[in-house]
Amino acid sequence: MSGEAFDVVVFAPLAPIFGLILFWFIQLIFIEIQKSLLNQLRSSHDALIRFTNFIGIFFQTICHALGYTLTRSGISSFYLSVDYGKVDPKKKKSGVFEWLVNMFLFVGPFFLPSFLLLAYFFLLSNDGFTVLAQSEFTFAENFIVFGSNLFGFTKELVFFLGSIDLFHPGHLGFFLLFILLGLGIRPSYIGKRPMEKVDMFYDLKNIRYNILHKPVYILIAILGAYIFSYLNVFFGQSLYVSVFSFFGWSSILAIFALIYAEVLLFWVYVLDDLSVGFRVLTLLTLPICYILLRVLFYLLSWPFAAQIGFWGSVGITVFITIMLLYRLTNKFKTLLSMNSIRGKSGGKK
Amino acid sequence: MEDDELLNQEKVEKRLSPHPLSFMGLQSLCIFLIAWGLIFGWMVNFSDFRDLFENVLLQIAVWGLVLLVVSIIASIIKVMWRIFFLYLSVVLVALGLIWWLNLFDAIGLFLPVYTVIVSIIGFLLVELFRRSHKYIISNQRIVFKGGVITKEQRTLRYDKISDVNTKQGILGQIFSFGTIIPISQSGFGLGSDQSFAGGGVQGSGSKRVGLFGFFGGGREVQTPRTRSYYELHGVYPFKEIRKMVEQLVQGSEISQYQKQQVDFQEEQRDFQEEQRDLQKEMKDLLKKQKNQSKSKEE
Repeated sequence: MSGEAFDVVVFAPLAPIFGLILFWFIQLIFIEIQKSLLNQLRSSHDALIRFTNFIGIFFQTICHALGYTLTRSGISSFYLSVDYGKVDPKKKKSGVFEWLVNMFLFVGPFFLPSFLLLAYFFLLSNDGFTVLAQSEFTFAENFIVFGSNLFGFTKELVFFLGSIDLFHPGHLGFFLLFILLGLGIRPSYIGKRPMEKVDMFYDLKNIRYNILHKPVYILIAILGAYIFSYLNVFFGQSLYVSVFSFFGWSSILAIFALIYAEVLLFWVYVLDDLSVGFRVLTLLTLPICYILLRVLFYLLSWPFAAQIGFWGSVGITVFITIMLLYRLTNKFKTLLSMNSIRGKSGGKK
Repeated sequence: MEDDELLNQEKVEKRLSPHPLSFMGLQSLCIFLIAWGLIFGWMVNFSDFRDLFENVLLQIAVWGLVLLVVSIIASIIKVMWRIFFLYLSVVLVALGLIWWLNLFDAIGLFLPVYTVIVSIIGFLLVELFRRSHKYIISNQRIVFKGGVITKEQRTLRYDKISDVNTKQGILGQIFSFGTIIPISQSGFGLGSDQSFAGGGVQGSGSKRVGLFGFFGGGREVQTPRTRSYYELHGVYPFKEIRKMVEQLVQGSEISQYQKQQVDFQEEQRDFQEEQRDLQKEMKDLLKKQKNQSKSKEE
């Protein structure tokens, strides 16, 4: 067997798997950052935390129910609240079925919300959903094609997000859903006490348990991937990489949604230093600025109205937030300027 | 509740009104109107397929039909035909205004603006209705007040409450508000869900002989439901208020031990009364004897 053939048979099928794992872990890192931010907001924004918990738990419970339905276990009870979600099967199945249900529970909350976003994004812009053809099916080619597919999609997504037109109902709906799901793409619970089955470490522990104690299923999954890859090589198709690219697109969309949601949460966190009146004023700045800029650009018939309107209003909001924080709090001040303020107000220098 | 409305030894524990988001059912009707008004405005004036809406009658038909179809779906889901008639009146008023003011040339501007204005008025009316609700929890009773024009009031003493039902939707769970329905011993606070099924059959053997039959049946289920001014609708903080109401209801009921004590005291009282009667009889007897002995001596 030549070197290239050995590569195709042994290493090539692993390329998109590694790529997907990489993106999944990047997603996990952003989820952990979001959880940390939410934990800091917990004391002052209880309702927001409960809302984000509900989105996360909702998708986790739906995934669990989907797992039981697809494995024909049936659903005997379905419970969903802002604190907890639970699904019980009619008949408990073991073996492959149990593993499949667990797979849905582990992977579903990360991918189901982003699948929804992906479907919505496809309706708005389908230019980024291109899959490159393959000829050699080596590890390097698989990796390059996987990366290229993701790059093309990311480029289109960034362009779309950069030029989003919030006066277009479809774009506005996507943006709202994007932020909404970005707040809940996590199988985790932020609360006073840790909850069972809703923690990332619980998922990782389960994965480790499955790898250590049920290696047969992992081997079957990998074997399935290898067979799928060989069939692609045999028929000269690039479906194998395309399937992983599809998951990669979901992961990228989830990462972007998480970043946007985190920026929003950070903004809320920063505004906590201001009084309620100024907080509301700052929160209203963004939509009011956007509407005013768009109307102005429409009347002046300026090009790139949507892009300049969106980023201009974001810039103005950031500027006003910084100015208010600088004026009304001790943020962004050197010791010298803080001392001068204390001196003016008659305080201790 | 004013101080002069308070009863003897009555103390107000809490004054409440519904949470701003507790009338989301009504508010969502207005939210839909705003959303549809904006989408319609965008579709007719700015979208890529605005050329399709050049015909004025088509614009009116699309606008009205969407409103009516959505209202029918909402009415069926909520089992409340008021929604349909509300939206129907919105459509009819719009048609009347278009015809009266001859606005056929400006439909693309008029219909979105009209829809948004109607929804804003709707929001204001819902807010007015919400603000008309006042609930006063005192140590003796709960007073429910409501109504924008006609003022309704219900007073419920804790000893008359037989059951306390609570409801908390997803929004309520997120924002910590919920509804508490105290059900009185007379069944006030209970509504009923009715379902009816019917079927008919028609058979036609020959031209002269025909068969026709109709059968049906219905069932009714009692469920805790009442008007928002007869219940503690969307009160905040829900858990705290629920605990307070349940404690006050429990406090008004006599426990088993208290009942035994009361029975014992009643027995004691009866016994004392008997003793008193006996003593009285004895006194009378002694008096009689004294009188008799006196008369004998004389």
